[in-house]
Amino acid sequence: MDEHKVRLEISELSKSYETKEGRFQAVEKIDLKVYDNEFLVLLGPGNCGKTVLLNMIAGLEQPTSGEIRLDGSVIQGSDRRIGMVFQKLALMPWKTVMQNTEIGPKFRGVKKEERRKKAQSYIDLVGLNGFEKAYPAQLSGGMKQRVGIARAYTNDPEILLMDEPFGALDAQTRFVMEQEVQRIWEQEKRTIIFVTNNIEEACFLGDRIVLFSECPARMKEIYVNDLKRPRDVISQEFLKLRAMISDNTDLAL
Amino acid sequence: MGGTNKSTVEERKKTAWADWGYRLLPVLSILLLILSWHLASSNSPDSFPTIQATWERFLLLWEKPIMRVSYPGHILASLKRVCIALFFSWLIGISFGIIIGWNRKMDAFFGTIFAFIRPIPPIAWIPLITIWFGIDEFPKILIVFIGAVMPVVINTHAGLSSVEQLYLNVGTAFNANRFQMLFEVAIPSALPSIFAGIRTSTSTAWMVVLAAEMLGAKSGVGFLVVRGMDGLDMPLVLVAMITIGVIGALLAAVTNFMERRLCPWMSIR
Ligand SMILES: Nc1ncnc2c1ncn2[C@@H]1O[C@H](COP(=O)(O)OP(=O)(O)OP(=O)(O)O)[C@@H](O)[C@H]1O
Ligand SMILES: [Mg+2]
Repeated sequence: MDEHKVRLEISELSKSYETKEGRFQAVEKIDLKVYDNEFLVLLGPGNCGKTVLLNMIAGLEQPTSGEIRLDGSVIQGSDRRIGMVFQKLALMPWKTVMQNTEIGPKFRGVKKEERRKKAQSYIDLVGLNGFEKAYPAQLSGGMKQRVGIARAYTNDPEILLMDEPFGALDAQTRFVMEQEVQRIWEQEKRTIIFVTNNIEEACFLGDRIVLFSECPARMKEIYVNDLKRPRDVISQEFLKLRAMISDNTDLAL
Repeated sequence: MGGTNKSTVEERKKTAWADWGYRLLPVLSILLLILSWHLASSNSPDSFPTIQATWERFLLLWEKPIMRVSYPGHILASLKRVCIALFFSWLIGISFGIIIGWNRKMDAFFGTIFAFIRPIPPIAWIPLITIWFGIDEFPKILIVFIGAVMPVVINTHAGLSSVEQLYLNVGTAFNANRFQMLFEVAIPSALPSIFAGIRTSTSTAWMVVLAAEMLGAKSGVGFLVVRGMDGLDMPLVLVAMITIGVIGALLAAVTNFMERRLCPWMSIR
């Protein structure tokens, strides 16, 4: 793995909103380099601006200032090479699992047979074989999140943004899903930017962990985590890293 | 083991009873209605026809046409007006609702006019429409159309102007073009709302057609009501009223069926 080939470069990125009470700063001057094929975790307390930051990278929101470069050139709006797994699931209730999953290639005009084959392979990969015709309302929380992941992968993004994908899951399902995402990432390497507010999840998954302050989101520290995968969550080194990050963390995390 | 078995059997028994209860309750309410009809009419059979008299009038209606139109003929005449009017009100109402719900400028342009026209009850159009188009079939269908198209436009507009930002974000993230955003994201997400409009339009159309027929027609169930009133034939009025109720309920059932077929995801819990 070429650790130091920069794919995504964020510089001086800020976002503020005009509200009734005045100007509200959600993200403040973020400078960040994301390397090729790395698993980057953004760790920050609730409501600190993590989703706003990801939405800007995904082109869903316009930055107030600063710029985002992908492979050296500035990107504007939603870029085909960047995919997103949404925090709020965001499956379309009127589409079946298959129809939700194939949405990316469908919008690009890929032929039905071809895109179905691709979608099927990811549905199988996330372990939802047999549920292709089910509607989201018929699935459990964990299964819905798997569809969200399959949908993002089916669109073949080079950079995958994941916004607290497991925040709404119970501890057990969450751990299973973390292992699952790690397995898929090791099977099909690509750059992942993973947002969480859970320190253990961050230490378990991240190659690097970027720690954010409370709102407005500012970078506090970047931790490099080179423990061998899959990580043992009760090993000495793991606990040490965890304690180190947690000591440096703002309250309410 | 034995304990759990017993409790599940008991629970099953309980739900079986509940099922029966829910099937029995509507029957019970109808029986009560018939009973109170019977009690009310047996005291003053002149002003309130008995069940017996109404039933006999019903049978007679099958043998003796009114104005050379048979009983099913009258029902079909009303239904034909309703169906034609509904077809066009859905077609035009949904298209128009989508246009003003999706496009801010169109909304600003048409919204005000629509706000003025909307409160005018369809019946109030009758004088104007009669002057313009006479008392043929077309003016009746037009009045029903006016009544039925309003709820379709209003609900479609509401559905399309309040598509959840989250779904639009998914569309953007997966690079939907404008056409896909409308047809793959916005319209499907507005379908529950559109169907609410369709349901309201169906019941409105059925009411308006009867009113229109009562004001001037030579066929239709509404005409039967007026005919019964003019001829002091109260049993005929009651037969017509019951027909109106039954057909109205059937129309509602048909739209419900359509909704479940076209939007299967909506009936999941
Ligand atoms: N469109 C907007 N207008 C005004 N304020 C906004 C807007 N979007 C987000 N905010 C504010 O920005 C702050 C950060 O929100 P954001 O959703 O990014 O938090 P988060 O870090 O993702 O939190 P969580 O962990 O709960 O998901 C919040 O206080 C929110 O109220
Ligand atoms: Mg968030």
